[in-house]
Amino acid sequence: MADLSKSISTTSVALQARGVTKHYEGVTALDHASLSVEAGEIHALLGGNGAGKSTLISIISGLTKPDSGEIVLAGEVMSASGPLAAMSAGISTIYQELSLVPALSVLDNIYLGRELKRKTLGLPLASDRRRMESEVRDLAAGFGVTASELRQPVSEFGALKKRSIEIIKALAFDTKVLILDEPTSGLEDAERQVLFGHMRSMRDRGVSLIWVTHHLEELFGLADKATVFKDGRTVGTVDIASTSVGELIGLMFGAAQEEFGGGDIRKITHLEPSTGRRVVLSAKNLSRGSVVRDISLDVHEGEIVGLAGLAGAGRTEVVRLLMGLDARTAGTVELEGRRLSLRNSSAAYRAGLAMLPEDRKQLGILADLSTAQNISISSLSTVASAGFWMSRRKERALAEDYRRQLGIKTPDVDARIGNLSGGNQQKAIVARCFNTSPKLLIFDEPTQGIDVSAKVEVHALVRDYAAKGGAAILIASEIEELLELSHRVLVMKKGQVVGEITGIPAAIEEGHFARIKSEVLTLSAAGQNS
Amino acid sequence: MASKPQSVGQVMRNAWERLLVDPTLGVISLLLIFALIAAFALPVFFGGNNIYNLVGASITVMILSIGMTVVLISGGIDLSVGAVMALCAGVAATVIKMGAPLIVAFIAAIIVGIAAGLLNGLFITRVGLPDFIATLAMMGFASGLLYIATQGVPIIGYMTGEYYMIGGLQPLFGPVTFPILVAIVLALVVGWVLARTRLGAHFFAAGSNAVAARQSGVPVRWVKTQAYVLSGTCAAIAGIILAGRNNNVPADLGTGYEIQAISAAIIGGASLMGGRGRVLGAVLGALTLALAINIINLAGVPSSYQKIVIGVILILAVIANYLSELARGATVRRKAKRLSSIAA
Amino acid sequence: MRSSSPIARIMSIPGIPMTVVLILTVIVFQVLNPVFIDGRTLGNYLTNGIPIILLTLGVAIVIIGGGIDLSVGTVAGLSAGTTMFALVNGAPLAVGIAVGCGTGLLFGLVNGFLVAYLGINDFIVTLATLNIAAGLLVVLSQVQPLQGVTVPGFAELTKGTVFGIPASFFIAGAIFVIAQLLLAKTIIGRRLYATGISAPASNVAGVSVPHLRLFTFAASGLLAGIAGVLLSSRLGAVQAFLGIGYEFIAIAGAVVGGITLAGGGGSVWAALVGGLFLATLQQGLRLNNVDPVYFSIVTAVAIVFGVVFERQVRRVVLQDALHRTAEFTTARDRTVHETPPVEHVDAFAAPEGSKNDGK
Repeated sequence: MADLSKSISTTSVALQARGVTKHYEGVTALDHASLSVEAGEIHALLGGNGAGKSTLISIISGLTKPDSGEIVLAGEVMSASGPLAAMSAGISTIYQELSLVPALSVLDNIYLGRELKRKTLGLPLASDRRRMESEVRDLAAGFGVTASELRQPVSEFGALKKRSIEIIKALAFDTKVLILDEPTSGLEDAERQVLFGHMRSMRDRGVSLIWVTHHLEELFGLADKATVFKDGRTVGTVDIASTSVGELIGLMFGAAQEEFGGGDIRKITHLEPSTGRRVVLSAKNLSRGSVVRDISLDVHEGEIVGLAGLAGAGRTEVVRLLMGLDARTAGTVELEGRRLSLRNSSAAYRAGLAMLPEDRKQLGILADLSTAQNISISSLSTVASAGFWMSRRKERALAEDYRRQLGIKTPDVDARIGNLSGGNQQKAIVARCFNTSPKLLIFDEPTQGIDVSAKVEVHALVRDYAAKGGAAILIASEIEELLELSHRVLVMKKGQVVGEITGIPAAIEEGHFARIKSEVLTLSAAGQNS
Repeated sequence: MASKPQSVGQVMRNAWERLLVDPTLGVISLLLIFALIAAFALPVFFGGNNIYNLVGASITVMILSIGMTVVLISGGIDLSVGAVMALCAGVAATVIKMGAPLIVAFIAAIIVGIAAGLLNGLFITRVGLPDFIATLAMMGFASGLLYIATQGVPIIGYMTGEYYMIGGLQPLFGPVTFPILVAIVLALVVGWVLARTRLGAHFFAAGSNAVAARQSGVPVRWVKTQAYVLSGTCAAIAGIILAGRNNNVPADLGTGYEIQAISAAIIGGASLMGGRGRVLGAVLGALTLALAINIINLAGVPSSYQKIVIGVILILAVIANYLSELARGATVRRKAKRLSSIAA
Repeated sequence: MRSSSPIARIMSIPGIPMTVVLILTVIVFQVLNPVFIDGRTLGNYLTNGIPIILLTLGVAIVIIGGGIDLSVGTVAGLSAGTTMFALVNGAPLAVGIAVGCGTGLLFGLVNGFLVAYLGINDFIVTLATLNIAAGLLVVLSQVQPLQGVTVPGFAELTKGTVFGIPASFFIAGAIFVIAQLLLAKTIIGRRLYATGISAPASNVAGVSVPHLRLFTFAASGLLAGIAGVLLSSRLGAVQAFLGIGYEFIAIAGAVVGGITLAGGGGSVWAALVGGLFLATLQQGLRLNNVDPVYFSIVTAVAIVFGVVFERQVRRVVLQDALHRTAEFTTARDRTVHETPPVEHVDAFAAPEGSKNDGK
């Protein structure tokens, strides 16, 4: 091993990951993954949800310890662990989740963990805010953060500004490797260009940039190379100059891509258009502050309505309003002609709504309960007698039923659900929703973080549900997934609906997939004057 | 839409919101209201040494609440301050009775306070006990130790001439007593640490968003441990002073002090959610509490009502805290809206 | 640790380890002092322990639902005081009992309202009501000495016997049976555990979390009220400081019994044996002439030990379950690969297959 690392130091390789493996709760997040990034290059990491990009990033930035494998920085194996060690070695990271401290000022956030000191009574005790401010002022101005804003607490700013602060924080130091995890999500076009400009100038200074993105078209003319991950494994590295979006998608989704172009679509095209069908849900002028603004939508029987948009466009916020999980500031919702109270989630379930939430681990499963108990929790009266007396027998029978029907792979329906794989957990949540016999079912990122084969199965469940006349609202960040499943897509931006695309199954059938996709992308990313 | 002339109601509402949003303004106005009530309704308020005594009586809680504020800022809570304070008072008194010089006794007491804080911190950050369970256990442990050491009989006969001075029973110069001096110095030092140093920023970071702090390389566990050590130290200092003021150390000396310290910190604007709090707020909060107790005493209400009043004040303080969070959210939203309308 | 023995699995059930410890403790005390389980003292020590065990149950219900209640001790004390106050002033027995239970319930509802509907930190709310209840008892005891009640039947609540068994056993027994059925067999119980495991996830799944929160605090308050009535009956006189520090014993009992502090884990049985263990310890130390102040230190150590033990057991059990599921999953993967759909066999699937063969 030592010989190998010596030979590497003679080349221009800045950072290498070798044979990195990581397991989480029985799920393999990374399986002997590797990555090699040269100095002065922009290197994209690509892959679907759950491909392992985030885990690799978190290992490189010192937050997670790998089960095996090593990270080599400038020819030397990184031995010290922890985020501070990674940072002092010259690795900075911009995380996808905003990782700012609301209580601290912008300046303190930028320098958090790396404060400059000033001598007080001969001791370097106090932070030297003046020096910190003067060093970062010009950089901050480039991202539209003024000197006075540097002194304000971060909690006073909106999402866009926070993203800029995050970028300033990463750029403010002598960085050898900069990792950007979806840095453009929620950014406007102009801001995006500013960021890209900074990325180029950093590359010219010899910094290596590792860039995670889902927007493949952003890569061209900016990134040098791309390494594709799939199911925790490295698929391969390609030169951006000699590849195409199509080829990248092929690498990223492999078998799943076949599904997208394959026979399944024909199955749903026999559905009639939504017009003329019974309206199941009708929302009018739904608002929540500036997060959700004046949303009106109808969902018909047998119809899947997709919500498209970038992160922060307000899609999840809309369905949370429907479920009564957040309070609305205006608007009404009718389900089969009856006004919903929108007061709380139990009222929503009673009225006939059900939701499969995003973030399965935090909001979906009840990890310490069994699979059977997870399935029954939203419809306990179906497994109880006299309205409150639980019947273990009924509950088990119900779970066994769904286990066969949906193909939930578990040794025992009485076993803790937290130990199942993501896909099987998700199927149990689908079973939970089905068992409430919902009039309208909301799927929020139904395939997030589950493997490809489970993904295909969940897709089949969603389609099947609609084919039997069920009405559904679907949110999916992966635009291919959204278009494959929806009959109609509403595009959201800044809490508003900015466009609608109808007749999707028929259009895809006629071979217009790429056109619709670019249409959705254009709408969701359009400039300020939309 | 953008720039409408503000109506009187609007101005009033903005003022009210600022009052709710700025914790220090809130506690100052509360203090003023109490003082006004006292001044008009109770002529004895300004009589004799009343105000002087009031300030003297508030010092112990004040010192405890300074440490408590730091713990709250870093996202924890310390229930053991009262018991640790009493234990430290017992240690100081016992060491003096053994014939050691005062300074040795004080160092011994402070070491015990630091050790208690360190144990709290380690059990919370290393063993992973919930904050309140670890400090509740420490409360039982420390008060149990003092009971065993004293066998339920108050420690007496340790007072010396200097100790009268340190306890604040005799002023140093003018009206200034030693405890007042200590409280001022402590408030200035801790305030400086919070506002100006790296550790201060780390306290806020650990309590406000521990994940982000960790990602930025802040050693969150160690930072929280330091907060508990600071709280333990404050408890020791308070214990030393209280032993001097009280003339004796009964086994239940610390009972009820933890709730007063928490109340003072929360009245002063510290949040149980972490990431918020001010030393000045804690100082004013302690004064407010002492003033409230003083008022009910002067009004002839039996002292047995003290506990009830403190409990009610604490509940009102957390409700005010809750309203302040709401108002804060509304203000931020309005500000964001205004900014976006300017941009458009 | 890879495949745990049946014994390890049984020991991971909440309450079982403490049951073993409890039996061992009783044996040790019996050997040290044969008076320990002699018919009369046994009845006495259990009767003395019942109020604490009821408080432990109340705290346990709140903790299982994901909260904490510090006020149980002084609320029990105050309830004892109000019961006595009503009886001293000539109220009939039923009214006295109702007043005591009502006091507890009222405090529980206030706690629950502030926590569940205003979203205020449960810990602070109950710390405040702890003090308010303690203060009210002091005030009440100054209004009138709380003793000297001769209402027929009152003392018999704890001192009387039915078929030779102390009357309070029947009361406590009935309460535990009801609680056990409620938690283990009803919809409310299931929702309670779900809320304790994850309130946000339960909310998304349609459980009305605030109602449940209110319910847990109300239950805990009512149990404190009943404990108060029994306390006043047994003591015959209510002192101003009654109940102070009981919350500490009750929480310790719940924790050592095997109630998960993070919520969602534990059982009525766990609360029962945990409370009983501390009652036994208290009684045993007293019989062996150990200074009662040591009890507070022992309780503090027991809390820490209980939490650490529970966490270790959980880790072992989780790891074990993980291995079993992982084995199962690997087996499934193999079967999938034996009959792959045509599209599935591509360049990327190949290395995985060969890797599996290599293992």
